[in-house]
Amino acid sequence: MKKLHLLSRLKGYGLFLCSMALGLSSYASSHREAPLISRDPQADNTDLYAFRSPDDPNTVTIIANYIPFELAEGGPNYYGFGKNVRYEIHIKNKTTTMGDDITYRFTFSSTNEDSTTFFNIRLGKQNLKTTYICEKSTDGGMTFATIYTNGVVPPANIGPRSIENATVGLGTTYGTLMSTAIGTASSGEKIFCGPVDDPFFVDLAGAFDVGNFRPDGNPINPPKDGLARFNVHTISMKIPISMLQKGGLSVSSAKNILDGDFVIGVWASASRQQIKTLTDASNPTYSGTWVQVSRLGMPLTNEVVIPVGMKDKWNASTPYNDLSYVPNFSNPELALYMDESKFAGAVPALNGLRIQAKSLGSYDFRNGRKGLYGLKGSAAVAGTALDDALFGTVLLPDSVSPRAVDILPIFYTGVPNLPPYQLATGKNGNPLAIGKPFVNNFLPVLGDMLRLNMATPVTSRTDPKFSSLGLIQAAVLGLTDPLYNTDTTLQAIPNMDGFPNGRRLEDDVTTIEMQAVAGVALAAIGLWYDDYIPASSPSPVTVRLGRVLGFTAGVTKNDTTFSASFPYVQQPWRGYDYTLKERF
Amino acid sequence: MKSFINKTLAGLMICMLPHVAAQASSHREAPLIAHDPLADNTDLYAFRSPCDTNKIVLIANYIPFEHPAGGPNWYTFGENIRYEIHVKNSAITSGDDIVYRFTFQHTDEDNTTFFNIRLGKQNAKTTYTCERSMDGGLTFTTIVSSGTVPPPNIGPRSIDNATVGLGKSYGALITSAVATASSGEKVFCGPSDDPFFVDLGGAFDVGGFRKAGRDGLAKMNCHSIVLEVPISTLQRSGLSVASASSILDPNFVIGVWASASRRTITTLSATGDKPASSGGWVQVSRIGMPLTNEAVIPIGSKDRWNANTPYTDAAYIPFFRNPELALYMDASAFGGAVPGLTDLRIQSNSLGAYDFRNGQPGLFPLKGSLALIGTALDDILGYGTILLPNNSSPRAVDILPIFYTGVPNMRPYQLATGKSGNPLASGKPFINNFLPTLGDMLRLNMAVPVTPRTSADFSSLGLIQAAVLGLTDSRFNTTSALEFIPNMDGFPNGRRLEDDVTTIELQAVSGVVLAAIGLWYDDYIPSSSPSPVTANLLSVLSFNAGVTKNDTTFNACFPYVQQPWRGYNGPDYSAEPLAIKNLGIAAPQMAMAAYPNPFKTSVSFKYKLPGKGNVMISILDINGRLIQELPQGNVAAGEYVAEFNGNNLVPGNYFAKLTVDGAVVNTTKLVKSN
Repeated sequence: MKKLHLLSRLKGYGLFLCSMALGLSSYASSHREAPLISRDPQADNTDLYAFRSPDDPNTVTIIANYIPFELAEGGPNYYGFGKNVRYEIHIKNKTTTMGDDITYRFTFSSTNEDSTTFFNIRLGKQNLKTTYICEKSTDGGMTFATIYTNGVVPPANIGPRSIENATVGLGTTYGTLMSTAIGTASSGEKIFCGPVDDPFFVDLAGAFDVGNFRPDGNPINPPKDGLARFNVHTISMKIPISMLQKGGLSVSSAKNILDGDFVIGVWASASRQQIKTLTDASNPTYSGTWVQVSRLGMPLTNEVVIPVGMKDKWNASTPYNDLSYVPNFSNPELALYMDESKFAGAVPALNGLRIQAKSLGSYDFRNGRKGLYGLKGSAAVAGTALDDALFGTVLLPDSVSPRAVDILPIFYTGVPNLPPYQLATGKNGNPLAIGKPFVNNFLPVLGDMLRLNMATPVTSRTDPKFSSLGLIQAAVLGLTDPLYNTDTTLQAIPNMDGFPNGRRLEDDVTTIEMQAVAGVALAAIGLWYDDYIPASSPSPVTVRLGRVLGFTAGVTKNDTTFSASFPYVQQPWRGYDYTLKERF
Repeated sequence: MKSFINKTLAGLMICMLPHVAAQASSHREAPLIAHDPLADNTDLYAFRSPCDTNKIVLIANYIPFEHPAGGPNWYTFGENIRYEIHVKNSAITSGDDIVYRFTFQHTDEDNTTFFNIRLGKQNAKTTYTCERSMDGGLTFTTIVSSGTVPPPNIGPRSIDNATVGLGKSYGALITSAVATASSGEKVFCGPSDDPFFVDLGGAFDVGGFRKAGRDGLAKMNCHSIVLEVPISTLQRSGLSVASASSILDPNFVIGVWASASRRTITTLSATGDKPASSGGWVQVSRIGMPLTNEAVIPIGSKDRWNANTPYTDAAYIPFFRNPELALYMDASAFGGAVPGLTDLRIQSNSLGAYDFRNGQPGLFPLKGSLALIGTALDDILGYGTILLPNNSSPRAVDILPIFYTGVPNMRPYQLATGKSGNPLASGKPFINNFLPTLGDMLRLNMAVPVTPRTSADFSSLGLIQAAVLGLTDSRFNTTSALEFIPNMDGFPNGRRLEDDVTTIELQAVSGVVLAAIGLWYDDYIPSSSPSPVTANLLSVLSFNAGVTKNDTTFNACFPYVQQPWRGYNGPDYSAEPLAIKNLGIAAPQMAMAAYPNPFKTSVSFKYKLPGKGNVMISILDINGRLIQELPQGNVAAGEYVAEFNGNNLVPGNYFAKLTVDGAVVNTTKLVKSN
């Protein structure tokens, strides 16, 4: 077995690193993503993150953000969590149970300390001062125990007079307000709820002008971060892994870094009571059962996968009820714009992205085509994830669902550490062969969740190999970096802890998802692009693969830094004097 | 008096002109409506049209802080909301005299995409109906049906591009959306640049106003309802403006307010269908005068204020008689703690006698005196019960009428010009927008001529600038006769798009109107001061709230507001991905590759030798048994291809072993498929 010999010579691949680091890009994750929720900003779940804490690797941090486009100076009634909204973070860690295994529920209330002024803060008093309780259910939402009471939400970061000034304001620093608002639940989780910089970044204008993307660094028209200088409201939790792991195991008990028993699925939601009554318009009352009005698991699902006609229903549904949306992943709309037999000619900004139509001379992954279905039931798929005895009924369902093999599992089941879902490294040309493992976040509940293998080691944020391209960069390293590409041994490759294996604050999910829709995950497992002709091409690293990997959606990183410790998200922009930046 | 005003105020104008200033008018102004942006009424404008002086323009804006790139579900008017513009023209009727009601509907032309506009189809495409009531809202007649709301100004591909977009210019979309009602009004409903401007960040940081403020509404859009209405439609007897008895004819005063209402009961669907609305309509937002609910009404009353109408406004009178903002312009209250307003100090000893600070008597010492006979402050023939109610409501004389009744052309509400030092004497008329219904409305005297927007005299300080000109400009300050003074058609006589209402209101709270009518600032000592134009007055007049004009222009004619900011600007980028250039990827060295793999009939092996050798390729089954050998012989360094016909093999897994000079170099799994 001289794969070593073979792959150790892939030196040229090293240049990928440069190209990747320079050329990254971006869409809003779930900001104003569906018609109804776009009119209810307080309940609008904008983003969800789940990552192993870089400074405390025995814990996982989950961050659910709400309320899009908070203008830092948006007074006199600044943004805040809704009083009549249930904000929830849901965790699934077993496939043998129905519904959630853990649910965290946050409810907020607010009081006015001085209702005689129109100012939010005056003379040390704060209006709309918000507190919360956190409850936890470990029985699928049947019963809840209160794990934190009288939680404090810091005020809006209005300005120096409102915050620091000891006469007219609160006489403290914003940093102090934030750090004192961090609480510890009776069950051990660390919690923070409050306004923060919106960590998401995307060229909104570029993305939604019928796909008018502007890559990062282009000399013609620089991309604009549509979320720049906006705040959101975050619910952040840092939770011991042993509390999330289905058997209560700590991470040191993991069999390996891809131990399938350490996979969790995370989603977040907001619910309202069904009936709002304005008998007194200045004092609405709420009654009836709670109905979910917003949710988020994988970024951009409801933004760019679910079409307008289904978006509101998607928000009302749960990952346990997601079957009707499967066709939107098996044949994603975005793929139409990367396919010259469809609308690609009308979306020149995506010229760099072309889906495999004849991979290895055979396989066509364009919408409506067969994909790998030709292998259905064959010996070739025996023993792989595509075997009907395993997951073939989901991943290779029929002859017109080409992306059930890659896009669907990324969003709906997680990706198992089974052939064909291993890197081409060591496969010797057969994508169905055993290759180098790079992901296992498989939790086959057929529904949209952010799935994270908690056993995967943390990539230090200061590691030179840290990349906002997440798992795609891990694949690139596993294929090209001599440290990782010499054999099929399971190794910790940097960024294996990145999206879509969970989601770190830094991850450029827009670019990653655009590249994924363009078939880059297929290429990584050996289903190379059309311009790789096995008989004659010198390398599977073809021009087309290079174009996909060189694509960026525009904005490749947040407009400010992150914090090295909990709650990791950055302080909210200060209304009085934040530095300006173009947003469109 | 007028001669010395003439002399001493000559320099004043020069100070005034470059200084103009600004707070958000009614954006997120109350806790509840801040969470219901679609129904949030942000601003209201009413002005005589500079383009067609027989008409009045009414503009009601909704939905604050619209991000021009805020897709994929852009902002639009709500479906279950009644948007209304109310007009009062008679003090003897109860309630509204004219009501315009707008209701909107959305349709999706292609709900299979996540884009708002794609291939000429538009989602959330919005149309509207406009109804009008002339009987206080009892009955309504439809005057526009199937009105069109232009789409969001997303970008060149969505709008201009004829293949993927709508294939029109945005200007054409606006133009074709302008409707003429069956009753003659011009109507436009659609997204527009938010014309308001204010240093939000400064204003609400406990009054942290600054000279170089930052427009918190810059590059934000809102949704406008624009009406251009013949004056004869609005005038209570149907008179055209040519019939006005003077430019301050009180019969031409209208009061305007706008609102948004929702039904009492909203029932959410458990499955994401549109919510059901039922029950009677209740008002959730309103606006008349700018900034009332933003900076006058305290937080404990804001939500209720939004639910009330100008006809039930009596409860809020105390907030105008002793406005909170005045506390920050009064060194004996919180003035010392608000350095941003240091330039503004309220008269505490005007003419050596009158104290207008909160809680002080103001002009109440004159109550019942002969001096008040014939003035508006007289209890019997005037409005003294409202304007001078008691000894602790000092601003009932100025702030209250500006917001609640309009200001009559009566003593003392005339300019000091010609008053010879007695503020209660007759002076030069400058305003009459009196409509004494005692409620918050934007009041406009429609007979006042238009100041051309291109006039050198045009000023965003509105009526305050008219007062300054009437007191200081030799064209106007030589006689107390009624004359048109530029900007008499400005706020608070109606409100033009350009008017800097934040600065005007802050100056007004600091007593500038009192000064204009002769109740000068404390540092004017009648017996000794050379001029009433004192340092204190100049300080107030030179104050501005930090942002003095909109961040773009306006249109000269209907709909006057500017096109909405476009989300995508600049050229498209459609070149190659940047990272491709100089990628320099070298061909990987492969010992052997098999293709196609899986295979059905034959499979090819490509192998590469670094040096000369004797090469053998062996096909093995899953148990390692030899199936066939493919001897390649002695070959030189280079790339070679060998073919193997496996047609007769049963489907399953096999291996290909590459041996060079007897050493196994590579083993590759092969899959024979069906």
